[in-house]
Amino acid sequence: MEVPQNRNDDWSQLLVRVGREQDRKAFESLFRHFAPLIKGFHYSRNTQAFSPEAADELVQEVMIRVWRKAPSFDPSRASANTWVYTIMRNCRIDMLRRNNRRQDSDSSDVDVDDIWDDTADTQPLLFLQRKRGEEAVAEGLASLPPEQSHVLEKAYMEGKSHSEISAELGLPLGTVKSRVRLALKKLQARMSK
Amino acid sequence: MIRHHPDNNMLLEYSSGSLPWAMSLAVSAHLQLCPQCRQQRESLNDIGGALLSESAPQTIDTDAFSKLMGRIDAAEQQTREEERLAGEMGEPTARPQRPVRHTDPILSDLPKVIRKLISRREPLKWKRVSNALRTSRLTTGQDRYEVAFQRICRGGQVAEHDHRGREVTVVLVGSFSDADGVYRRGDFLVREPGDVHRPIATQDQECLCLSVVEAPVKVTGLLGWLVNPFLSFRPA
Repeated sequence: MEVPQNRNDDWSQLLVRVGREQDRKAFESLFRHFAPLIKGFHYSRNTQAFSPEAADELVQEVMIRVWRKAPSFDPSRASANTWVYTIMRNCRIDMLRRNNRRQDSDSSDVDVDDIWDDTADTQPLLFLQRKRGEEAVAEGLASLPPEQSHVLEKAYMEGKSHSEISAELGLPLGTVKSRVRLALKKLQARMSK
Repeated sequence: MIRHHPDNNMLLEYSSGSLPWAMSLAVSAHLQLCPQCRQQRESLNDIGGALLSESAPQTIDTDAFSKLMGRIDAAEQQTREEERLAGEMGEPTARPQRPVRHTDPILSDLPKVIRKLISRREPLKWKRVSNALRTSRLTTGQDRYEVAFQRICRGGQVAEHDHRGREVTVVLVGSFSDADGVYRRGDFLVREPGDVHRPIATQDQECLCLSVVEAPVKVTGLLGWLVNPFLSFRPA
């Protein structure tokens, strides 16, 4: 089996193989690539969002879901990175919810995948379009001023709301919001090029 | 056409997973009705994907993969076992979901996430607030926000009211208007405490909205109005 380079479309091919044939070799390659990244994502520089044990547990949970959900992975709708990201985010919401939940308040039928449902009928894109959008986002992130990429990282990697970021950095809420908006504007300008 | 959307800040909090559960439910209902915001969501998810791919890798235990496969195999084994047992008992292997029979026509065409929310709660209990307005509280497994259906009859006028906390409204069926404009199916409105408005449903049909309101801040003591920022907040 050829070992994929660090290229997004190769990871997508492997995911398709896991989905269609439950290919364990393909899954192992995905694990070797994504597990350290999933752990790294939650291992932020100053504050540790998850303890190492919790991060290891999260890695296991996320990869179990990747295995189970692989049949629904559609490379024309999302890249492997984005798809794994959404599974990881939902998994994290689930884990935090399980810890905080009061025993008796869980009487709802709605679960994380119902509310964060990324399968909803979005227009499939041409693979190239999708890939270009992704690359634009990645390049755009690298070119943002540090104070803007910093708030994005706090939001995504530490899972913090705007008000939590504002409290932590000692910035007015309005400043955090405008940094986020400016960052998105720049990313979007790149994507529409 | 949908004209009122959650702003990019709220969509980003949704996409990064920090937006509270009940607010995310409202955003989700909007997304299922709004192709434009679905597209925005994809870009926001792509940011997450890009940050994931550029994370500094952390070491994983050498036996983590075999441990993982062990768990997957055990779980699949158990599923097969359960299916076999169920088969021997003469039960259908996959229990079909109880069909949702909403006899109430206003509930017949709702976004998927809202259908799921009420799927086992039929018939809903409606509380009459006024001649024009009925409301039904919904259980969402959290207690920071009150989640409810608001149902305004054809041409019905809701009394002028204030909001105790931030309120999000998603129009699910029909339309209503207030001094600021007309809101149709899919429209997503955020009202801050202190915003006073008087919604009126349009004449042609009943209007159904999902509302999510921050639970009232508990006021204690005589000086409650001083310690309760929402009650004393009145923008000029």
